[in-house]
Amino acid sequence: MSRPELTGPAAHFYNEKEARKYDSSSRMVGVQREITERAIELLRLDHSQPAYVLDIGCGSGLSGQVLEEKGHFWLGCDVSRDMLLVAQERMHNQANDDDDDEGESDDESMDGESNKQQRKSTGDLMHHDMGTGLPFRPATFDACISISALQWLCYSNAAHQNPRRRLTRFFSSLYTVLKRGGRAVLQFYPETAEQAVLITECATRVGFAGGVVVDYPNSAKAKKHYLVLSFDRNSEQKRKAALKDGLSSAAEEPQSVLVTGASREGAKKAPIRKKKGVKTKEWVVHKKETQRKKGKAVRPDTKYTARRRPTKF
Amino acid sequence: MRLLTHNYLQSNVKGTEEGYPLGIVPETVEIDKSPVDRELLLNILPKLNYDAVLQAVEQLRPHCETLPNLPSTLPEDLDDELVNDLYFVLFDVHVKNGCLVCPSTQRKFPIRDGIPNMILHEDEI
Repeated sequence: MSRPELTGPAAHFYNEKEARKYDSSSRMVGVQREITERAIELLRLDHSQPAYVLDIGCGSGLSGQVLEEKGHFWLGCDVSRDMLLVAQERMHNQANDDDDDEGESDDESMDGESNKQQRKSTGDLMHHDMGTGLPFRPATFDACISISALQWLCYSNAAHQNPRRRLTRFFSSLYTVLKRGGRAVLQFYPETAEQAVLITECATRVGFAGGVVVDYPNSAKAKKHYLVLSFDRNSEQKRKAALKDGLSSAAEEPQSVLVTGASREGAKKAPIRKKKGVKTKEWVVHKKETQRKKGKAVRPDTKYTARRRPTKF
Repeated sequence: MRLLTHNYLQSNVKGTEEGYPLGIVPETVEIDKSPVDRELLLNILPKLNYDAVLQAVEQLRPHCETLPNLPSTLPEDLDDELVNDLYFVLFDVHVKNGCLVCPSTQRKFPIRDGIPNMILHEDEI
C-alpha cells in the first residue's frame, strides 16, 4: 500500500487534482462512509438530539455528510484548502438539490424526519493545521471525529515539526475544546506499531481515557484503527491516586522519574557497602562467636579485634 | 463562516493572552435561510458566549440590513421570536469574505470564500 504521508505535507499532497480524484472515487467514498458510520457508532451520540461535532481533517466533507444524515451539525477543519473548496462545492450542490426536490418551504420549522432530510448543509469549514492546536474556546464541542487524518501528524515535513510535540499539542487542545463527558473517535492508519503506540501515549498523557479499537484485525487491507477517547473521571481519579502511590503504569513520566531516582540511590549505596568491606568488626565478632559455638579454639575479643592497620603491608 | 463558528473560534497564536472574541471585518456577507432547528439551538445555547454574538452582530450590521435586534442580555425563557432571531443570526448569516482580528495582538485571519484561514506561521506555534 502506498503511503501519501511519505511524500510531503498534506496540504501539498491534496492539491486540486488529488482532491477531485479523492472526491469522485466511488471506492474512496464507500470506504470513508463505512468508516464514518463506524466512528459515529463508537461515539455513542444520542441521535434524537442534534449535537455539534468537530470533524478534524474533514477533507472533501464525506464524513460531514454522514453526520448530516444523522441530524448533527458539524464544523470541519482541514489543512488542504483545495479539499475544503471541494467540500464547499458539494455542500452547495447538495443545498441546490434539496431546493429542487422540496421547493421553497424552508422558512417554516418542520419537525421530525422530514426536517432533517430537507435541511440545507449543516456544515461549516475552516482552514487549519491540527498540529498547531485547535483554536477554539474551552468545552465547546459535544464530540469530535477524525477520519484517516491523525497519521499525518506522525511525519515531520519541516525542521520545526516534531511529531511528538505536534501530537501532544493537538491532543491537549482537543482535551480543552471537548465538552466534559464528550467523546472523540479518531480513525487513523498507523504505518508501524510504534506509531499507534506513540499516538495513544500522547493521548493518554494529556489526560484522556480510552484506547484503540481495531476492526478486521486479521486483514491487512481492511484493518482499521479507531482511537476512542473519553473523559473517564473515575479512571482519572484512580490514576491520580496511583500516581501518589507511585504504582501506576499509566502515569509513565512521573513514575519513571521516581524509578530512576530510586535506582540511582541504590547504585550509590552498593559501592559504599563494598568499600566498607565484608570484614567489619560486627562480622568478625559474629564469625568468632559461631566458631566458638562449634567448639573451636578462638582468640578472645579485645579492643584489637578487627581493628584496621594504619598502613597496608 | 457562520456566526456560530465565529463564536467558538479564538486565536491560539503563541503568547496571546486573550484571543477571544475575534473581531470581524466583513467584506461580503450572505444570507442563506434554513429551517429553524429549535432543539439544536437549545443544545448549543449553554455553550454560547452571548456577548460575542452581540459584538459580531454590531460589526456585521453595516453590511447586512436584515439583522434583527437582539436583547442585551439573554432572558431565561426564550419566546419563539427570539429563538428564530438567534437561529437566523447564528446559522443563516455567512461571512463570505473579510477577516477576523485578534483583540489583543491585532493578528488578522483572512476569510476567503467563506473559509477562515486559521493556519499559523512557523514562529506563532
